[in-house]
Amino acid sequence: MVASLLTARDLNKQFRSGNQPVSVFRNLSLQLDRGESLALVGRSGSGKSTLLNILCGLEKPDTGSVQVLDEVFEGGTDRQTEARWANLRRQQIGVVFQEANLMPALSLLDNVRLRARLAGQNEDDCRDWLERLGIGELAGRYPDQVSGGQRQRAALAMVFAMKPALILADEPTGSLDRHTAEDVTGQLFDLQARHGCGLILATHDAELATRCSHHLDLGHLPET
Amino acid sequence: MTVCSALLSHYRRHPLQLLALALMIVLATMLWTGVSHLTDHARASLAQSEQAIAGQQQLVREDGQAVSVQDFAYLRRQGLCVMPWLEVQRPPPEGRVIGVDPFASACFGSDAPGQARVDALNGEPFLDIAEAKAMVRQGSNGDLSLLVPVDVEADAVPADYRLKDFSMGPATGELGESFLLNLDALGVLVLLITALLVRSVYQLGLVQRRESFTLLRRFGVPATRVQVLLLIEMVALTSVWVIPGIWLGRLLAEILGGGFGQVLESLFDAPLYAVDGGGFVLPALVMVTVVLLACFADKRLLRRLPWLSGRPSVVWFGVPVLGLGLAMVAWPFTLGWLFVGIALVFVAVGLLTPRVLSYVAQWGAEGAGAITLWQRRELAVLFRRLALPVVALQFAVAMVLAIQALVTTFEDTFERWLGQRLEAEFYVEVPEQSAAVDGVRYLAGLSGVGDWHLVQRGKTHVVPEMAGDDAATSVEVDLFSISPIGPLVTGWTLLDAIPDAWEKLATGQGVMVNEQLARRQGYQPGETIGFTLGEQSLALPVVGVYADYGRPDGEILVAGQILPETFNTRFQSLSLNPGTLAMAEIEQGLAAVWNTDQLTVRDNGSIRSLASGVFDQTFLITRAITVLTLVLAGTSLLIMGWVFFTTRAWYYRLLFVWGLSPREVAGQLRWLAMFLTGAVAVAALPLGVWLTWALVSRINPLAFGWSLPMAVYPGFWLEMLVLCLVIGLAISVLMRRQLGAGVPAPAMANVAGGGER
Amino acid sequence: MTWCFQPLRWGLMAFVLSLPACQETPESGGFAGLGEQVAGEAFAQPAPGDRLRFPEDFGPHPRHRIEWWYLTATLTTEQGEPLGLQWTQFRQALEARDPGSPEPDPSSWPLDAAWMAHAAVSFQGQHWFSEKLARGGIGQAGATAEPFEVWLDDWHLQVEDDGRWRLQVSGEGWSYDLRVKIEGEPVAHGDDGFSPKSASGEGSMYFSLVDLAIEGEVTLGGETFGVSGQGWFDREWSSQFLKAGQQGWDWFALHLESGDKLMMFRLREAGGDFLSGTWVTPEREVIPLGADTMTLEVVEHRDTAEGNVPVQWHIHIPGRQAELTVVAPPGHYWNDGLFPYWESPVSVTGSHQGEGYMELTGY
Repeated sequence: MVASLLTARDLNKQFRSGNQPVSVFRNLSLQLDRGESLALVGRSGSGKSTLLNILCGLEKPDTGSVQVLDEVFEGGTDRQTEARWANLRRQQIGVVFQEANLMPALSLLDNVRLRARLAGQNEDDCRDWLERLGIGELAGRYPDQVSGGQRQRAALAMVFAMKPALILADEPTGSLDRHTAEDVTGQLFDLQARHGCGLILATHDAELATRCSHHLDLGHLPET
Repeated sequence: MTVCSALLSHYRRHPLQLLALALMIVLATMLWTGVSHLTDHARASLAQSEQAIAGQQQLVREDGQAVSVQDFAYLRRQGLCVMPWLEVQRPPPEGRVIGVDPFASACFGSDAPGQARVDALNGEPFLDIAEAKAMVRQGSNGDLSLLVPVDVEADAVPADYRLKDFSMGPATGELGESFLLNLDALGVLVLLITALLVRSVYQLGLVQRRESFTLLRRFGVPATRVQVLLLIEMVALTSVWVIPGIWLGRLLAEILGGGFGQVLESLFDAPLYAVDGGGFVLPALVMVTVVLLACFADKRLLRRLPWLSGRPSVVWFGVPVLGLGLAMVAWPFTLGWLFVGIALVFVAVGLLTPRVLSYVAQWGAEGAGAITLWQRRELAVLFRRLALPVVALQFAVAMVLAIQALVTTFEDTFERWLGQRLEAEFYVEVPEQSAAVDGVRYLAGLSGVGDWHLVQRGKTHVVPEMAGDDAATSVEVDLFSISPIGPLVTGWTLLDAIPDAWEKLATGQGVMVNEQLARRQGYQPGETIGFTLGEQSLALPVVGVYADYGRPDGEILVAGQILPETFNTRFQSLSLNPGTLAMAEIEQGLAAVWNTDQLTVRDNGSIRSLASGVFDQTFLITRAITVLTLVLAGTSLLIMGWVFFTTRAWYYRLLFVWGLSPREVAGQLRWLAMFLTGAVAVAALPLGVWLTWALVSRINPLAFGWSLPMAVYPGFWLEMLVLCLVIGLAISVLMRRQLGAGVPAPAMANVAGGGER
Repeated sequence: MTWCFQPLRWGLMAFVLSLPACQETPESGGFAGLGEQVAGEAFAQPAPGDRLRFPEDFGPHPRHRIEWWYLTATLTTEQGEPLGLQWTQFRQALEARDPGSPEPDPSSWPLDAAWMAHAAVSFQGQHWFSEKLARGGIGQAGATAEPFEVWLDDWHLQVEDDGRWRLQVSGEGWSYDLRVKIEGEPVAHGDDGFSPKSASGEGSMYFSLVDLAIEGEVTLGGETFGVSGQGWFDREWSSQFLKAGQQGWDWFALHLESGDKLMMFRLREAGGDFLSGTWVTPEREVIPLGADTMTLEVVEHRDTAEGNVPVQWHIHIPGRQAELTVVAPPGHYWNDGLFPYWESPVSVTGSHQGEGYMELTGY
């Protein structure tokens, strides 16, 4: 049987608030295959970002396991686990944050090249990615010289340039105006569909969520 | 909530920042106060000691006998102003004291040697001569001299007595002055470094409070109001924190001053006077002014000089200023001119260094791989953003390099100077009425004695260019003869010589001249020098030029054998190493052949070790101060670097998100931080070497008329580099802990800076 | 008679000297310092009944704490202009010594006594003054009775072969060289030489030579004047003089044209001044003057930078039919040494004509 792209089983995560343990989610399981997209919806603070962080190894669940491609993670914070996660993020998992996805000292093109290089991809088509996202003429500009929408397009270019199997996007349009946001998400879905990678999108925008093939509502506030 | 409390609320949330600012003000104040305090005291004490030893003369008996209280009474009854000076050497820790008679010194007026006023008779080092004499009676060595004012002429001296120069040990006056100048320069540099550090902390605070300022502006608070409030805040902060700074500085000065005082005391017989308390106002005012200038001067200055604020204009401004400064130092007219030149160079270097380093960091990076490019670009950002602490550290390192080179050069020069003057273990003065030749014969027949020679001193005239017998054009110089020429002199440093110079000197085929005479009259080895010896005129080739380490008079060295009988020898002594014999035995033998019981014997070994010890201690203090400055500058870069890195934490975290392992991220940070501080050390090197050169080859000749040899110490450069790298390493270690502390929120990148490129 | 302020001065010097050695608390508070008990009981204190001995009393008194040799002269230059001069040498002992015991070894630079000398010339309203200091016991300064000599550095007063004294002094830009012929016997003041200084009995041994014929040369600023005239010589020694509260001293030594000589002094103190004197007739009859036999009043003060000085006095001695007005010539006559005081020649008018010297302290 061909393993799915991403499988998470029985994930539990608690925070401590004062002396009270606060449960972010309990026994959460999900599965995602190539070409599929999953919308994580819920209010602010419902644990969307935490879940994304767990799915790319930036945070550890209290219990449960995560499998990405054929790498299985069942807890453990040893150096080897770290290295396996790092390797996955480097080559297979593209992450897009709400903002500040670019190195400020590098031009847009150099940012894309850096990301492609880290992923072991050819740097030659980096300019093409910028052009496909409609910001080819801004390639030599620095992040602080372009608009927020242009920055997020460049962030998408970086992600696609690494040719990932999985894209994790945490409110990628949260800081953009509606029109620009639609534009950017349009490109995101378009490219995801064309390249057949998986996409997990954390958003509080219900409309945006409907464009995904699956939904997971974390809408409740964390339980005490 | 008022605007004021809104501003201050920042520190409630970030108490560490307030602490960092306070710490910087306290440390900077402490350092500056300490250094300036020491300098002031050194100046006062040296001024007194200068007076104590400046150009005194003494009366000695024509018959060579030691002077006594009877001589004193006799000379006073002849109407001469004479004061007794009984120098008593006691074994450590008591050391040397000087017995004087305050009644007798009254006729010297304010020029009394050592300001031997009654209120100074506290044993440091002056005390009443009766007490000093009692020490001598209890077994200490005592040496009585009779001093007369400098204006006493030879014809006023009664028969059976003559005038003689009076100096107390090595003439260290100029070295002392030089040392002071050195401290002065240090004080100014410390102030400069202080200003840079305070400014860097202040600017950092501004960056971190940008959010608050933006909010306040949105709420309609005018920008000028915010400015005024910030000004008040800084004045209040500084006023509060300079107090412990000054207090700590005093403490520092006291601690160092203990050793320093001993140095001055043993060097110049000048006690380091107690700290003249009070006086918090002046240092406090200076520090508040420096802090305000450092923080706010640019607001006004840049408005007036808009061309200074733009990035390219810094280069346009900096390069000509650098050129002008370098030219002023290369061709100095006066000491003031020279100092202005040095200041200009420092200003220009301060402006240019961050730009240049930033440029160099990126240079050639375009073709490099993406990661290298990121490293280089990030480094360039760091150089620009951390410009002030970077420049402060650069100045501090340059200063430490220069001071170290200067101090080592001084030490080395002094060592060689001592070596030349005190080559033999003992000096025995030939008594006035005795024939030197008897002593020479005695030593020549003595088996077991070590190396020895006879030194005869007198005056001669050199006739430049052999211009006939025209006495008006002849120059009086000291003549200095040695026989036999042996190992005690052949080890001297010759600045220039023809081959077999010592042999030619020994056989009377040539003379040597000292550096001073060679410079003044332009003599070079091989040239013929015309001079008189008593009745006869001689013309002999110069076979060598020997170093004189600052001796102000011209001097000719000849072999004793060419000295005619008629030559008027003013002073004769035997320099000797006792070899396998006991010195007491040789002394007895010489006293017997000269038929005297009053031999003047100087133990050079003890003088040498005393002098060396004293200088070691002096230089140790200079070093301690420079190292403190370095530590302060290093700490500042550490704090600034750490805080700045923290504002960029999100971006370093991105590397982690992008798949670099924590270890790899830490490696990148380490590379950045160590390259940053290492580059500072490298940038400081030319400045330090240049500063050394300016000190020894420009300031010293202008101030004292003689130059020190310029030396460089690459071993020490390496030490500085390693120190800077350690600072970089410390930054990266702190940073790594910071990154490991949790997931930083990306939002912070926008509101609190860190997004600079 | 110069002593009332000197003890303060000596106190100062003793303080200065004792600083490094013994950290004694210095005496302070003006002339009251003299009222203190002599440190160490070894010093001898003069008392009524003590007698003078000659020539020994011309020499030093090592058992006493303080003494001086003091000469004043009212002279006339060859051009007929009046010229006054004075010379004083003081000895202040720090330790008492029995005259029979050996002197300390000079090579130990002993500090058993300190010496000070003052000299001044007053001429044409100008005043030249110089001061010298020396440590005792090393030969730099000293005194001997036989042959008579008192010296400090190159200043000295000594007897010559012809029996005359020679006084040589030189200051900055001035000097004098005098021959002094002594006429008459020493005049003992007070009770055969014991001169009380307060009602409660403190006092000193005090005698004078009142008939000195002086001639010699005085050089002032390169110009040398031949001078001649008369002088007065004082010897005085004690260990304790003043009592607490005495503020200063006014002293006069006057040569009257009638041949009479008058010495009188006043010690100023809060509870009433102490007045004493000696009248010497032309026949050299010595008549002690008690406080109830005379009056002394200030007639006029002169304002100077150093203080307000009484320069004109009225002396009334009913028993001698004397009504004297004593006036200092125009000018300022401060001896500006470690502790300044006023010393000037004076002229006498009234029932008698005359001249002399006046010394004022504590102003």
